[in-house]
Amino acid sequence: MSLLSWSKSALPTFSRGGIHPDEHKELTENLPIEDFIPTSVSLPVSQSLGPSAEPLVVKAAKVKRGDVIATVPGGGVSLHAPVSGIIKNVQTGPHASLVYDTVITIQAKPGEDDPQFPEQAGWQALPVAQMLERIRDAGVVGLGGAAFPTYRKLTLPKDAKVDTLVINGSECEPYLTCDYRLMLEESEKVVLGSWLISKIIGVKNCVIGVEDNKQPAAEKMRQTIAELGLDKMDPPVKMTVVVTQTRYPQGSEKQLVQSLTGRLVPKGGLPMHVGIVVQNVATAIACLEAIRNGKPVLERVLTVSGLGIKTPKNLRVPIGTSVEDLLAYCGGYSGEVVKILLGGPMMGRTIADLGVSVTKGSSGLLFLTAAETSITRYQPCISCGECIDACPMGLEPNRVSQYMEAGRPLETEQFGIRECFECGCCSWSCPSHRPLVQFMQVAKAAYRRHERKAK
Amino acid sequence: MSEAEVTPTPTLHLSSGPHIASGRTTAQIMWMVNLALLPALLWAWAVFGWVVLAITLSSILGCVVAEYAVCRIAKNVSTLPDGSAVCSGLLLAYTLPPGIPIWMPFIGGMLALIFTKGIFGGLGYNIFNVALVGRAMMMATFPVEMTTRWLTPAFGNVDAVSAATVLAQIKLGGQEALAKILAAVPDGGQLWFDFFLGMRAGSIGEVSVVMILLGAAFLLWKGIIKLYIPLSILVGVALMAPFSPAPEIYMLGGGIWLGAFFMATDYVTSPTMPRGQIIFGLGIGLLTGIIRNWGGYPEGICYAIMLMNILTPALNDWFRPKRLTADGAPS
Ligand code: SF4
Ligand code: SF4
Repeated sequence: MSLLSWSKSALPTFSRGGIHPDEHKELTENLPIEDFIPTSVSLPVSQSLGPSAEPLVVKAAKVKRGDVIATVPGGGVSLHAPVSGIIKNVQTGPHASLVYDTVITIQAKPGEDDPQFPEQAGWQALPVAQMLERIRDAGVVGLGGAAFPTYRKLTLPKDAKVDTLVINGSECEPYLTCDYRLMLEESEKVVLGSWLISKIIGVKNCVIGVEDNKQPAAEKMRQTIAELGLDKMDPPVKMTVVVTQTRYPQGSEKQLVQSLTGRLVPKGGLPMHVGIVVQNVATAIACLEAIRNGKPVLERVLTVSGLGIKTPKNLRVPIGTSVEDLLAYCGGYSGEVVKILLGGPMMGRTIADLGVSVTKGSSGLLFLTAAETSITRYQPCISCGECIDACPMGLEPNRVSQYMEAGRPLETEQFGIRECFECGCCSWSCPSHRPLVQFMQVAKAAYRRHERKAK
Repeated sequence: MSEAEVTPTPTLHLSSGPHIASGRTTAQIMWMVNLALLPALLWAWAVFGWVVLAITLSSILGCVVAEYAVCRIAKNVSTLPDGSAVCSGLLLAYTLPPGIPIWMPFIGGMLALIFTKGIFGGLGYNIFNVALVGRAMMMATFPVEMTTRWLTPAFGNVDAVSAATVLAQIKLGGQEALAKILAAVPDGGQLWFDFFLGMRAGSIGEVSVVMILLGAAFLLWKGIIKLYIPLSILVGVALMAPFSPAPEIYMLGGGIWLGAFFMATDYVTSPTMPRGQIIFGLGIGLLTGIIRNWGGYPEGICYAIMLMNILTPALNDWFRPKRLTADGAPS
């Protein structure tokens, strides 16, 4: 945006704003994914957006790996027992974003006869409706962090004209390397999953977006696509890997769609409205496993990192693994930790209780020391304009914050609060450390209250 | 027993994201601006002597004392460490003639800070540039000292000029005065070069265009200022240059360069969007020309910037960022 910051890179990227924070990926990018199974898991029943699930099990009941333990009445995304064992408790417990939720705790007792979910014959040829059913029954949600039910995203309205599937391998949040490791170690699953999703939504074109700082993953994905011969499968899909600039928030849907296809998602619209469906790489794997193996989402890969943890790792853990267990498994604190987050440092949430556990949407667990995070008193806006330059949506967070401070929340709509997706570029850039995202959130809440009252 | 079990749970902070920051702070920005202002001060010290340091110190002290008092009275956290009061003090001193009595800048600095920043709510809330209000107040309060206490530079050709700046002489005497000045310079054609380097009479911080550009280059390199405002001011001034008897002196004399790179670029009192900044700059340039050519003062940038400061909120309303939507319109 400035006269002096002409982009040096010729790689594609989105047209406005964005930032490049310190990546810190070096802490974990070369560590292969390790398995870790704790002795007990605690699963909050709310794992995705939408109505909450209700528990189907009671204390002392026996469950097998893969059993449905909670479901949304009237159909929706179910929750499965990630390990075999005995239900220790069904009671109120901590939740990363809802603060409290109903939590099902399972004492793990792995047995010889635990289901292993082998490949089923004829999976490639299943009718699309059945594939969607399997995705729903497996409890697949967006694993990139949004946790939106995947079967709903893939069930397109009749009049939708979709021509391209975008697979999101951007992983633009600093510290996180789980998607990168998946692309390196399980590229075949990513490619086959992407092929299946292409088949489900009926497109012949699939673009995988990978940021420039993950070149080895892009290379690996290209190799795998060539080896599997996607253009000769039934139906054939033209799958390409596009390397984009390393620029946060490259992995945000609207930004990624623009970087990869040049299409602009209309205001208040979805990528679908410009002919595109976006799925994350880990979600593609989950879809494949649901359809090919009939395997529900029982575990996920996440990055445990930050300068505040002794041995950072990329881990595959059962859903419901507690922060406490992960902390112990990764060697405990190192240095003075001031914040613990689930998710990335830009959009992740701070937690207050080590009993909080990994949900389907948790892509990272970060232990941050004072040196890497910012805890400062904020100052008045000096109108430097950095936040406007940084905002990928072209909004005016500075003015929202000024109106909020002046006690005029219901005049902030003109500055774009409805288009704000809380990426945090504005707050990151602000030299006065103003909590601009928070002002945005409070402004949105004020409108919601106002609209409820008006009804 | 593993170490994790014996380490006590730390005090955990809760907040909404993001949890990392660019590392740039308001204080850093202000102190870098202060640093960028130093070459001009060094030059002033070289050509006018120690007295300029005393004047600058007096002005800074005035601003700092007032800022401290305002923060105490308003029971706010002290904003002294952020360097903005020092910055105002420096800039005010730079607009003063080097022969001014040393106590005056102290008064000027105090008044400027209290009336421009203090009563409006402190850092970020002022409408006018603090230093320029200080200068305007001093012009009204000490008109004689502010317009006659010039010093002859220690070196250079324009030593005939001790009573008034070249711009003031041309303003009063027109072509005749200009001819006289040029005659006093041995190789007449080189006058512009003396102006560029800074071997002329003038206010403390404005005399050397080179030194100002040196500081400005540093700020540009650090990404603290952008070129939109300074360039459009220079373009605006240049558009009015043909109406002056001595265009090159008109371009290099007075406080244009200091004003363009250090005063008009003040974040708080200038627009945030490039298009707003360009209009802002052009307005300053043109108004400066109008004041100089047809107004009552030989110098005009100070008032031109203050006049455009008034327009800043409107420019921010008129020129909004483009939204990332098909039509790009802010809604
Ligand atoms: S959080 Fe909202 S306002 Fe801030 S940069 Fe992101 S989209 Fe823009
Ligand atoms: S970055 Fe911060 S100080 Fe600068 S304009 Fe935005 S809110 Fe104001």
